[in-house]
Amino acid sequence: MAAAESPSTALRRRDLCSRGIRLAGKMRADVVDLLDAYVEQQGLDASASVAAVEGVPLAAVERWDEQTGTQRLLENLAAYRAFRALLAQMLEEQREQLGEADVGLGRALAAVLLQVSAFAYHLEELLRLESRGIPGEEEEEDGPPPPPRLSLFEQKLRGLGVLRELAQWAVRSVRDLRQLTKPSPATGAAPGLAESP
Amino acid sequence: IQYERVGADVTMKCGSMDWDAAVTWTVNGTDIDESHLNGSYLVLKNVGLSQSGQYSCYEGSSWHLKYQTYLRVGTPPKEPVLMCRSNNYPKGFYCSWHLPTPTYINNTFNISVIHGTKDMVCERDAIPKNRCHIRYLQLFSTVKYKVTLTVTNALGKNFTTLTFDEFAIVKPDPPESVVAKPVPNNPRRLEVSWQNPSSWPDPESFPLKFFLRYRPLILDQWQHVELSDGTSHTITDAYAGKEYIIQVAAKDSDIGTWSDWSVAVHATPWTEEPKHLTTEAQITETTSASTSSFMAPPTTKICDKGAVVGSGAVAVCWTAGLVVAAYSVLFI
Repeated sequence: MAAAESPSTALRRRDLCSRGIRLAGKMRADVVDLLDAYVEQQGLDASASVAAVEGVPLAAVERWDEQTGTQRLLENLAAYRAFRALLAQMLEEQREQLGEADVGLGRALAAVLLQVSAFAYHLEELLRLESRGIPGEEEEEDGPPPPPRLSLFEQKLRGLGVLRELAQWAVRSVRDLRQLTKPSPATGAAPGLAESP
Repeated sequence: IQYERVGADVTMKCGSMDWDAAVTWTVNGTDIDESHLNGSYLVLKNVGLSQSGQYSCYEGSSWHLKYQTYLRVGTPPKEPVLMCRSNNYPKGFYCSWHLPTPTYINNTFNISVIHGTKDMVCERDAIPKNRCHIRYLQLFSTVKYKVTLTVTNALGKNFTTLTFDEFAIVKPDPPESVVAKPVPNNPRRLEVSWQNPSSWPDPESFPLKFFLRYRPLILDQWQHVELSDGTSHTITDAYAGKEYIIQVAAKDSDIGTWSDWSVAVHATPWTEEPKHLTTEAQITETTSASTSSFMAPPTTKICDKGAVVGSGAVAVCWTAGLVVAAYSVLFI
């Protein structure tokens, strides 16, 4: 039997969602600026199509409006954890490649990485609020073997794919969090979260 | 039906009749002058649109109908103009099209929409016929949509392609029911309210932000206010007594572009009821030349309270009264 949601939980969720929406909004603005700088600095064509890169979580989703609140939180969390690792890798590659030349780009990448980490933590808090177990992160030794080292050009294209997808996720996350704040007509709880264990 | 391009030279044979047979050609029932004949062939040089019609060829003596055709003069299609837009995000988008110049003959339009490798169906609207709409199967995709429109008629074909991503084409319809009202006892305020466009399906989950612009009719420069939420705003710096024109535009809070401006509304801030002293002032001005004794006219136009701001209003009125009195004395 699903328990009715306490007012304090509802308030806390609303508060977390509002702050999350602001975080995601700021993150998106910074990612868009970073994308422009990245394209310019790396000498890429902004309109270039980049094939889906392995390991980059796609923001594209079917039947988005039918997702439960828990699904939204779990998918978001998995995505931002993946972006955290991808951005860390990009930062390392950036430092190896260019040294002093792109200090600004490196700083911007680091700032976005920080926001992605913060947002991932924020999502964990929301999941904790729902008394949901937070899925553990994959240990390196248990994960798949690391992919073969890419050429410089392939690294740049992958970076473009990562940032583009992250920008989409930032928009999706805002929408997902807004859905979480909508009251469910039957229980008054947020949709899809008041589920029986 | 025979289709020919504008400016073409057209030769029509009278069926199986020999070149030297005696024939009569008509267009829409009217005989065609022999100067257009080469033997039994009808020759039309540099055809124009007005030469479209039903052409018939009759054997000279028997007046048997030997050949008939409907000539349609037109042009092959130029590259069509195609536009795609989502005014009902996240439900879907529509594409509409037209030809930049008419062809004067029937055209067939065919549209294809591809998302990545997937073909999507664009459902044609009954009215208007040059529009179709698509439901989004996926949201938040970085994969672009490619829309190709092909137009074909009997004289040729042409096409155009649009490529865009999901966010770029989001453009709501303008806000609806814009209302602007004066605020009682506030000569510099106007209260403006509006509603979300009815075509926007879920303003709660996909909230809109708004842009308001306003100016007095007598000035060209607009004032602008951007509002991140809410569907009302109070203008607090209106010029007293001046009629204003006000418009509102909308945009999704996160993506896409601004809507067109709403229908304009007009409003004038509240003003105090004008006193009836205007009539006395007019009489005083017209008779001042013949008046031996003079009384300073009560201040009206010069000292319209609505046009003067602040506590200096009273001092200005007295001063203006003295000036008028001085001038009046000069004319006696």
